[in-house]
Amino acid sequence: MKKKTLAITACTTAMTLLLAACGGGNTGNSGTAEEGNKAGTASPKIKLSIWHNFSGDDLRAKAVRAQIDKFKAEHPEIQLDAQAIPPDGYRQRLKTVAAADEMPDVFFTQSGTSIKEFYDGGLIQPITSLLDEHPEWKNNFIPGSLDTLSFNGEVYATPLSGSATSFLFYNKSLFEKYNVKVPTTWDEMMTAVKTFNDNKITPISLGNKASWLAQSSIISSLADRVTGTDWFKKAVNQDGAKFTDPEFVQALTYFKQLSDAKAFQPGFNSLDNTQMEQYFVEGKAAMMIDGAWALTNMAASGTEEQLNQVDVTILPSVPGGKGDPKSMSGGSGGGLALSKRATGDQLKAALELIYTVSGPDAMKAIAGSNSIVTYNVDLDESQVMPLFYKAYNLYKSVKLTPVYDAYLTSSATEAVNNGLQELSMGGKPEDIAKKIQDAQARDLGK
Amino acid sequence: MAFTNRLRSFIIIGLLPALTIYLLFVIVPILWSAYYGFFDWKGIGAARFIGLDNYAEALKDPIFWRALKNNLIIVAASILGQLPIALLLSLILRKSTLFHRFVRSAVFMPMVVSSIVIGLIWGYIYHPQIGILNVLLEQIGLSSWIRDWLGDPSINMYSVSAPVIWANIGPYLIIFLSAIQNISSDVEEAAKIDGAIKGKWLYLIVIPMIWDTIKVAIVLCISGSLKAFDLIFVMTGGGPAQSTELLATYMYNNTFEIYRYGYGSAVSTLIIIISMILVLGSQVLMRKRGME
Repeated sequence: MKKKTLAITACTTAMTLLLAACGGGNTGNSGTAEEGNKAGTASPKIKLSIWHNFSGDDLRAKAVRAQIDKFKAEHPEIQLDAQAIPPDGYRQRLKTVAAADEMPDVFFTQSGTSIKEFYDGGLIQPITSLLDEHPEWKNNFIPGSLDTLSFNGEVYATPLSGSATSFLFYNKSLFEKYNVKVPTTWDEMMTAVKTFNDNKITPISLGNKASWLAQSSIISSLADRVTGTDWFKKAVNQDGAKFTDPEFVQALTYFKQLSDAKAFQPGFNSLDNTQMEQYFVEGKAAMMIDGAWALTNMAASGTEEQLNQVDVTILPSVPGGKGDPKSMSGGSGGGLALSKRATGDQLKAALELIYTVSGPDAMKAIAGSNSIVTYNVDLDESQVMPLFYKAYNLYKSVKLTPVYDAYLTSSATEAVNNGLQELSMGGKPEDIAKKIQDAQARDLGK
Repeated sequence: MAFTNRLRSFIIIGLLPALTIYLLFVIVPILWSAYYGFFDWKGIGAARFIGLDNYAEALKDPIFWRALKNNLIIVAASILGQLPIALLLSLILRKSTLFHRFVRSAVFMPMVVSSIVIGLIWGYIYHPQIGILNVLLEQIGLSSWIRDWLGDPSINMYSVSAPVIWANIGPYLIIFLSAIQNISSDVEEAAKIDGAIKGKWLYLIVIPMIWDTIKVAIVLCISGSLKAFDLIFVMTGGGPAQSTELLATYMYNNTFEIYRYGYGSAVSTLIIIISMILVLGSQVLMRKRGME
């Protein structure tokens, strides 16, 4: 009898352990099975992992993935585990593995606040040596474009693309039909809004369900025109300026004016970015304030006839603004960062991978996919969409101002995002300015 | 004596695997999360011990209380919506004809559909421009009723409650069906002879006889509604301007959008405490009623 009990105990314990192993193992390395298979072959492979969010079907994602495939083909001695994760949940997944200290060797991260969090956490190492090895690559970046990816004089990633978050797209036919001037001043903007509303055309297409859109595309540029960039940088550091300052409250008031004048389509807080772009490209709205990503999206969803009606400019100036009106929020996009844990052969392989995916060839391929890059490339006009060519030249001709969420802390960004939704539902600019101020001050411990 | 001892040890051994898994994957993470709640931690880098500050901050945050209020709306909608509808349907659909079985499967269907899909479907029903609900209202001449169902903060909590009710009737229907089928036919016949028909039969026979089942259903309903997350996360994400924030979305947004892991952990611990209070409270209330 005793023997039997023992056997049962042994059995149950074994089962428990087995189940426990199942439960815990999922998040770990997914390469274990392959490892077992390949153990029999000759030399041990260098294992390398990369995470990125170029998972979509658009041209840019395909261009980046093609570079990764090229690296795989060129380096059979490296066993590359490439994970393409959809952009929506990407940051969350990255942060979760960061919290569990299971970071991939190379990973895509946004510039500004995002990469700074990894830097502050001591999770990444610089790639300055790689840039120094390839001066022709290093020197071709547009001046200043490495700034939001560098700390303490060391570069931690190079931008895979340039971000331009605030183009004013407009429908030429609708402007001609109703004889409206493309707005260059705030008054003209409000007149245009009124005229289109009188004619039952949505003046500005907006889909702010995900709530970052009004922040990245509208307020980043609009507020800069009111407050100027210096004020913003001071407010970010909580050094001599606060978000409760009258100039920022004024910027929020401009946004509220648009919303109060019914400039956006009904229900814009429950529509998403894609729906807003479709609404505009179908000619249901006269204008749309959106980033460079809209170019590829519109190219994918609109017909040629629809696209020919679209033209692009920048937001109008505001009366008495302290900022440069010939500007647009934008800067460097994210890039590939290198985990601190990569050493020896793995480090060499990782640097090689970064060079393949973000080096000169990759830059050319990405620019050719209707995406803005912060790198000097000779863009072949015939190879890209005409609207993109126009937007790209516009981008190069204006001053770039900070995108709010690249500079603000995560909670302050969330406060701006939610605050703009609240404004459009009847909130008061002063109250929202205070919430933003409180969030930023608390995060900086001031 | 030797036999009972042996039996007891066998029971303990039998329970051991389940107990170990439960401890490892339920109790330990809860304690762990409560522990993280004492830290100011971004998920990356060093955690700083700050005592009860996170808990105090949550209790002082008006959004936390709004989330709790919204959760209670969902709880109320579930108890007052799901249970009566499920009970009625179970009375109507007791028989086993083809038609009854078909309707039963139709009611149960949302349970086997992923909540993401349900969220997307209802998101489209409520869509401000192409949504079927607004189109329908317009066609039957009720254009004045047209709303931005998910965007208007004065009604969107009720809009999101509808799919929550719709999607979760299934399991309660099954529970009630089996409970009603357990009422012996002797009782039913005796009641009929005594003149208890229709409404009387429901109040005097069915409800008292399945009261214990109803109690279980209410507890399931409360705990299920406090966990509500997926449907609303897909439809509104807690927005606009946090007007449909639930405790779970509030916790999620703080942890994974703002990256305040410590604060998020504190909120999830509070969710557990609130759930326990509500479940225990409902038990006490129902016990009193049961004794009357």
